[in-house]
Amino acid sequence: MKGLIIKDIFCLRKQLKTFTFVLIGVFVLALMYVLSARFGNIAKAGADMLMDNDLTTVDVKNIGSFVLVLFMIIPMSAVLDMTIIFNADGEAGFNRIAGALPLSIHKRLFARFLTIYALFGMGIAVDTVLAIIISSLTDMMTFGELMGVVVSAAAIFSIYGALIIFFNVLLGYGKDQYCQLFAIFTTVLAAALLNIGHLIKIWKVLFLEQEIDLNVWGWLDYLKTKAWIVVIAAILVSAASYGLSLYIADRKRGVI
Amino acid sequence: MEEIKNVIELKNVSKDYGDFKLDNVSFSVPEGSVCGFIGQNGAGKTTTINLILDIIKRDSGEIKVFGENVSEKSAALRENIGVVFDEMGFHEFMTGKDINIMMKNIYKNWDEEAFFDYLKRFSLPAKKPCGKFSRGMRMKLQIAVALSHHAKLLVMDEPTSGLDPIVRNEMINIFREFVLNEDHSILLSSHITGDLEKIADEIVFIDGGKILLSGNKDEILEKHGILKCKKSELPMVSESLIVSFEESSFGAEVLINDRHAAARLYPDMVIEPAPLEQIMIFYVNRG
Repeated sequence: MKGLIIKDIFCLRKQLKTFTFVLIGVFVLALMYVLSARFGNIAKAGADMLMDNDLTTVDVKNIGSFVLVLFMIIPMSAVLDMTIIFNADGEAGFNRIAGALPLSIHKRLFARFLTIYALFGMGIAVDTVLAIIISSLTDMMTFGELMGVVVSAAAIFSIYGALIIFFNVLLGYGKDQYCQLFAIFTTVLAAALLNIGHLIKIWKVLFLEQEIDLNVWGWLDYLKTKAWIVVIAAILVSAASYGLSLYIADRKRGVI
Repeated sequence: MEEIKNVIELKNVSKDYGDFKLDNVSFSVPEGSVCGFIGQNGAGKTTTINLILDIIKRDSGEIKVFGENVSEKSAALRENIGVVFDEMGFHEFMTGKDINIMMKNIYKNWDEEAFFDYLKRFSLPAKKPCGKFSRGMRMKLQIAVALSHHAKLLVMDEPTSGLDPIVRNEMINIFREFVLNEDHSILLSSHITGDLEKIADEIVFIDGGKILLSGNKDEILEKHGILKCKKSELPMVSESLIVSFEESSFGAEVLINDRHAAARLYPDMVIEPAPLEQIMIFYVNRG
């Protein structure tokens, strides 16, 4: 099983340069942003808007947090393109070789999940370093809040990853674009259904012009403080994806 | 007398794809033998091999490898099976070194030293991406992998197709060397009958998803023959001896299933030994 994970990581070797470039870029930009928000133009603009009563102190802090959240999510999303592995296996005809290896379908599928979690592990490690640096330079977000965002993002992306695996096993090689599309659609649909009440409120405010108090930054607080809920959702989706994929792969054989 | 052990046994195996059906396939590969699995393209060779390796699920029948039911212990059984496919299957960016790292973490009996020895022997550079290898080199790489985990059975699907005669001969010598060990066996699928004539002990001939002929190669070659006669003499030949025949402006050629009986019955007719290729063609043309 370890051999298959090693092979998957070999497949991503080409992406390593892009990944390194993205990481360095994020580090530099995050540092520049934090320093500017504390001592530079961003800090000055925030102070001006506060003086003019355009924004509240909470708004300024939330906008700052929002930008930091984006910085934290980028390294995680950079490891997202796991369809590269599926494509590479399909193009090379490795699926047939894999079928002839002394590994059960269960192990081959499990290896795929482990590869994805290993990739997110790398993303989390990088983000932890970033969170330590950012939290020591600014009071916009604490280390705990930053890590809450990181764990939430990792959980959401692993839901996407688990769905990609499921659709890949279901649809087979060469359908990677459909797999990505269905996985994104399913993830967004699930998120929308879970927040249906909030979405109805937004709709009422925007289209019916009703005066309802909207907590615009609620999602940000959710990511910062309720990561455990997203993690549980990720575990459930991953387990369901694994079970269904195993059932399909066992019936179809040679797909993983 | 010691009972002959079979390393592969198929009994009434069927697989229906709708547009193609593998129909009640039964044959066995005795331990220590080289079994040539012949048939034209699309005859069902690859499907049968995929079923033996449990890569696809059969609809019915029984498949045993090393005496064990393949669907129950397929992963464990594959430790002792070396597989060579018609296409390489390894990612083009992978080098011999990469493949070694991957395989030593998959096969319990992976022999790193043996693998690099084979690479050296086959003149395969260990640091060059295999995508840059020629077809012959790619097949040799697969063979190196198949032989480096001390497999007792080699299952090969068209390993010699598309290779030049020199490389093919080199590969056949490697297979010969492998079966010098008495408990080593080979199932070699090919439509190049010349290769099988050189190396096979047993022959299984498949066409349209059905086994048309199977048995000891020497017996098959000994029994079959091509009887050459005039068109007018054709009705004289006993139907029970005829597999099929071809008529031309010069006369008729008949594949007969008992050359010696035919020689006794028709001493005036020319009866020549039939090579595997001709046997295959006549059986296919029988319809």
